[in-house]
Amino acid sequence: MSLTLARLQQLKRQAGAAPSSQDLTPTRAATPAIDDLRRHLRRRAPSTDAVVRTVSNDRHVPGTEIAPGLRLVEARLPFAPPQDWIDGRFDRRDALDARQLMFFDTETTGLAGGSGTRAFMIGAADWFDGALRVRQLLITAMAGEAAMLDAFRQWLRPDTVLVSYNGKCYDAPLLATRFRLNRMGTPLVDRPHVDLLYPTRRRYRGRWENCRLATIERRALNVVREDDLPGSEAPAAWLSYLRGGSALNLRRVLAHNDRDVATLAELLLHLSQLSAMEMDEAAELP
Amino acid sequence: MSQPARSPSDLSVFPEVARPRPAADGRALAQRLENKYLSRITGVHTVPGRPERSVAMPDDVPPGVVQALAARGIDRLYSHQADCWHAVRRGEDVVIATATASGKSLCYLLPVLAAASTQRAKALFLFPTKALAQDQVAELLELNAAGNLGVRTFTFDGDTPGDARQAIRLHGDIVVSNPDMLHQGILPHHTKWAQFFENLRYVVIDEVHSYRGVFGSHVANVIRRLQRICAFYGSKPQFILCSATIGNPKAHAEALTERDVTAITESGAPSGDKHVLLWNPPVVNPDLGLRASARSQSNLIARLTIRAGLKTLVFAQSRLMVEVLTKYLKDVFDSDPRKPARIRSYRGGYLPTERRETERAMRAGSIDGIVSTSALELGVDIGALDAVVLNGYPGSIAATWQRFGRAGRRKQASVGVLVASSDPLDQYVIRHPEFFANASPEHARIHADQPVILLDHIRCAAFELPFQARELFGPVDPQVYLQLLAEDGVVHNEQDRWEWIADSYPANAVSLRSVADGNFVVVDRTDGRQTIIAEVDFSSAPLTLYEGAIYMVQATPYQVEKLDWDGRKAFVTRTHVDYYTDAIDYTKLKVLERFDGSPAGRGTCHHGEVHVVRRVAGYKKIRYYTHENIGYGPVTLPDQELHTTSVWWQLPPAVLESEFASRQEALDGFLGAGYALHVVAKLAVMAEGVDLQKAVGDGNGAWFASADGRGRGQLRGAGEEALSLEDGERFMPTVYLYDNYPGGVGLSEPLHFRQRELVQRAVELVERCDCKAGCPACVGPVLAIDEDAGVAPRGLALRVLKALAPA
Repeated sequence: MSLTLARLQQLKRQAGAAPSSQDLTPTRAATPAIDDLRRHLRRRAPSTDAVVRTVSNDRHVPGTEIAPGLRLVEARLPFAPPQDWIDGRFDRRDALDARQLMFFDTETTGLAGGSGTRAFMIGAADWFDGALRVRQLLITAMAGEAAMLDAFRQWLRPDTVLVSYNGKCYDAPLLATRFRLNRMGTPLVDRPHVDLLYPTRRRYRGRWENCRLATIERRALNVVREDDLPGSEAPAAWLSYLRGGSALNLRRVLAHNDRDVATLAELLLHLSQLSAMEMDEAAELP
Repeated sequence: MSQPARSPSDLSVFPEVARPRPAADGRALAQRLENKYLSRITGVHTVPGRPERSVAMPDDVPPGVVQALAARGIDRLYSHQADCWHAVRRGEDVVIATATASGKSLCYLLPVLAAASTQRAKALFLFPTKALAQDQVAELLELNAAGNLGVRTFTFDGDTPGDARQAIRLHGDIVVSNPDMLHQGILPHHTKWAQFFENLRYVVIDEVHSYRGVFGSHVANVIRRLQRICAFYGSKPQFILCSATIGNPKAHAEALTERDVTAITESGAPSGDKHVLLWNPPVVNPDLGLRASARSQSNLIARLTIRAGLKTLVFAQSRLMVEVLTKYLKDVFDSDPRKPARIRSYRGGYLPTERRETERAMRAGSIDGIVSTSALELGVDIGALDAVVLNGYPGSIAATWQRFGRAGRRKQASVGVLVASSDPLDQYVIRHPEFFANASPEHARIHADQPVILLDHIRCAAFELPFQARELFGPVDPQVYLQLLAEDGVVHNEQDRWEWIADSYPANAVSLRSVADGNFVVVDRTDGRQTIIAEVDFSSAPLTLYEGAIYMVQATPYQVEKLDWDGRKAFVTRTHVDYYTDAIDYTKLKVLERFDGSPAGRGTCHHGEVHVVRRVAGYKKIRYYTHENIGYGPVTLPDQELHTTSVWWQLPPAVLESEFASRQEALDGFLGAGYALHVVAKLAVMAEGVDLQKAVGDGNGAWFASADGRGRGQLRGAGEEALSLEDGERFMPTVYLYDNYPGGVGLSEPLHFRQRELVQRAVELVERCDCKAGCPACVGPVLAIDEDAGVAPRGLALRVLKALAPA
């Protein structure tokens, strides 16, 4: 047991902070700047680094590795838009070109905000070649983040219109932060962004228990998911995989994200058609 | 020429009378006070005035800025302002440590405005309070308008509305904030400030002398994080710091910023002579050594100065005392409600609008007397005053001169009076006028590498940016800390990079004013309320917040009904009992390691690491006025353990045997010596209240001493049973002074370095005390019984101290 770590834990406790519940493990020596600790360090023999990790046999992650630490999962759903141009009145816009839309959703390490939160998965869907192409980027190591951001950036064309659910306040600023931290410019800024949360609220506020995507999906679109991993468990699923644990829950996160992104496409069409109908009827009234 | 003296009652009878013209200078009044109250004045000190030293506006100041200054009536610079301008132009980091009201702010406003108006360079200003920040913003806006400079200045703090924040981040040229906001609100969101950090040219930090001790250690780490983030965005801003007069401005600035700093300490601003008087209230009860209250004296002095036409500022130590003194003075000077108020009070609890109004009236000269807390110690502009009265010693030489610095006009002499209270520190200072005259202002000290503080900030830094392989944090190798954080599950190590992975916002859990989040809040539950009325640090909590304790806030008593230890809350209700409580605490010390030692007279002095256990075993209830002990109460709280650094003194058995008739005498002597050493040590290192603690014990923790009900030192065994002093062979009483924070805060080492001087001062303190047998000003309170004992506690303590003093 290391004196240094034990000592730091102890000092923390003595100062009144809650103690950490982790086991203490041996570590390397040194930290010349801690004067009083140095004297202890001189008496200690260095030991090998041995961070506790769980080891699992189930490490299978779908998709292909397109860069070190970055995997791409691609699928197609037989789901095409009824026509190329989608009525945009549900979001107070002109008509939207179906081919320009990019539905996206991220899975992140938490809700705390600030520069310490990152996306470990970006799911993006677009109508391509008569089907809904869903592409998911997943990092299996921290080192894959830059490649993930770069790949996502390359999917965006100059005329791409982003579609999300609460992406204006959450996903887009978060990705902007990650781009900045990786010194990669800001490809999401100055781009049209349809955030479906707002038209959803306008239509459905107060009708059901809340306006979360899962609720709207179930109630308005009649989609039932089986064995869905709740979004709140996604961070732990990824972390546990990162530390050598099972990939089971991470695969469930992929499935969850895949479904989320497909739902965005369905929801957009649903809202568009309903609004179009209502506004056309209203216009016909004498 | 001189007006006939008018008594207060005249004012209401006669029509509006012209007020007496100011005395030719404060010198006349100082003379009068000396003559009339000679017995109360222990020292007189004159600080000679200074002539103006100024230069023409330098050529390289941009025309727009020159014009802005000209519009404010400034067309020359004081020497220190010009020195600062040139130093900053040379690319140096600067600390300006000239006296109050010497035009320090122009020193940093000049380079900042020049760069912002001509090159769109950005600046970050940090002030310790919002009031100061607002003043500064107002100043900047005026200058900007006067010179049409196009510089956009904004405050960014907790009060900034959400929708304004993005605009400030993108468009602010000068952002004015405070260390807490920088720590919690700006650095953790630095990507949103990318443009600001990329173009950041100057960081201005005002009142840096207030960033010392634990607070200063935290701020130094926030500055490390700031510099780290600037490096990420490719900028390396220059630091311009302002400090009040402290003993080590350059060293302190360098400790805070970890850069080489140029110090500018000579002011070119003109000032008149300053006459300073040290005033000790007269003794009213010689047997008990009781003196008249400081309040009564401050009241008297202020009446005299105001009547003499001197604009007067009285500093009081508490908000309650501000109200009391204001009332007394208003009774005298504002008895006619039809006339505008001549006396005003000022303190933190008042609304900002009220305070702004009072400041304006002060600047305009329409108030004759103002009573304030330390709120007016910091740089808010209140115009020129002629007299400053300090009701009680502010705790440090530096703060004393800071407050006196409020008085002084360009040519006229001013008066400063320090009135001592009965507090031991006050009495020491007032009775040692040469100490006051010769004492250089204390050194401000920080301990940026204090382990617990460092851990907190490395955690915050990891949240902000990942740590790369071999990256240092300031000068510290963060490896061990990152490993600890990995154990805690907040960072993840991958190929020598340490990345943040937890779902938490660490800055919210770190308070810049405490060591780890251990502070207790005191919640008033009287009449169903739930208001927080005080905050108590972790180490003081067991001594003052046990259930049944009487806790005083501004002299109002409350009783602790419930203590939620884990929740860090104490619930109190207002009480009207006729007693106060005093905790019975035992301290057990054990030396873990000795770092260093030196001879101390016939004994030795050491410095090293100790293990301290403090236990509160119960409390006494003591009736007011009679000081009878009317009962006891139990306390069941966890022991507090501490691994920290300490300095300690010992005498060898041979010396003890020759000096003392019994072990009991030796022990009592050590208790008294410890008390005196504690007093002088706190003074010497500018320690805040609880930072430095004392204890008397034995190096192996085998026994520890406390004062029993009869005021005599007692031995207790490891299990706290009382021991007879004659048992056991070894008897090595030891006085310890230790840092009251786990891991230490860097107080013990300088104390050990200066130990001979400390013992010397302690000897003087005890020798020259006016009391008979001992008192709270020298060796601690003594009971009547001991005054007539063979050798009084005072004498015993003196023997110990003399034995420890250099030959």
